[in-house]
Amino acid sequence: MDPSATGIQEPFDLIRLSLSERVFVKLRGDREVTGILHAYDGHMNLILSDVEETIMIVDTENAPDGTVNVAKRKMEMLFVRGDGVILVSPPSRA
Amino acid sequence: MDETTPPPPPEEHSPPPPPPQSHTGSPTDFLKGVVGKRVIVRLTSGVDYQGILSCLDGYMNIALEQTEEHVNGAITNRYGDAFIRGNNVLYISAAETI
Amino acid sequence: MASQILPLELIDRCIGSRIWVIMKSDREFTGTLLGFDDFVNMVLEDVTEYEMTPQGKKRTKLAQTLLNGNNICMLIPGSAGPEEI
Repeated sequence: MDPSATGIQEPFDLIRLSLSERVFVKLRGDREVTGILHAYDGHMNLILSDVEETIMIVDTENAPDGTVNVAKRKMEMLFVRGDGVILVSPPSRA
Repeated sequence: MDETTPPPPPEEHSPPPPPPQSHTGSPTDFLKGVVGKRVIVRLTSGVDYQGILSCLDGYMNIALEQTEEHVNGAITNRYGDAFIRGNNVLYISAAETI
Repeated sequence: MASQILPLELIDRCIGSRIWVIMKSDREFTGTLLGFDDFVNMVLEDVTEYEMTPQGKKRTKLAQTLLNGNNICMLIPGSAGPEEI
């Protein structure tokens, strides 16, 4: 039945298989984080460690052409509230 | 619900046999038909994800494979696998015949 | 005892016909209604999506599409949509 034969029956399997791996998370508010996934729940609340956050800042006032400034910062351990999550991408499973 | 589809005429270039046409048109039937196919998932933000639909659940959480992220028509990212949280989904559209 | 018709019964009678869907945001869809569920998630065919932007109306053609009921505001049965007016 599974044409791609990846052993994924439901979307959360993708997250379960990414535990202890570095994942990419896209969040509301033009934020992105990568970190090691330690825990998750049904809301997609996440616990990440060794996190790098990237914030895209479009400066419409000084640069009307839509130049994007990127700010980065690091965090040791992070809780992400599930309702902010848009997308989670695990490391590619070769 | 009246399944009056006539048997397809024999064709020269017969593609792999299509699955029996069993859609009554409900969302569930549509989803059964598109799993494993190329789809376009548009989020309410307007961002598109194009890829192969691995599976989804009742919240419209989606797992996609070979995913391309499109913003304003340009590819902005590629993901081997992607989990999309269902609350962001505007629609799922078939990108190949189902 | 007035003959009552439920709103979703009306939509059920539209299955197989064109329908115009207006979202909560500046977005509209037209298509042939194939089916829907209790959340008013809708399956449409031969779809046109209309996005109202400051630059004007942006049209996108789509094949069979499952539209999330969460963002739907209004349904206009039998209408060709914004092009009709």
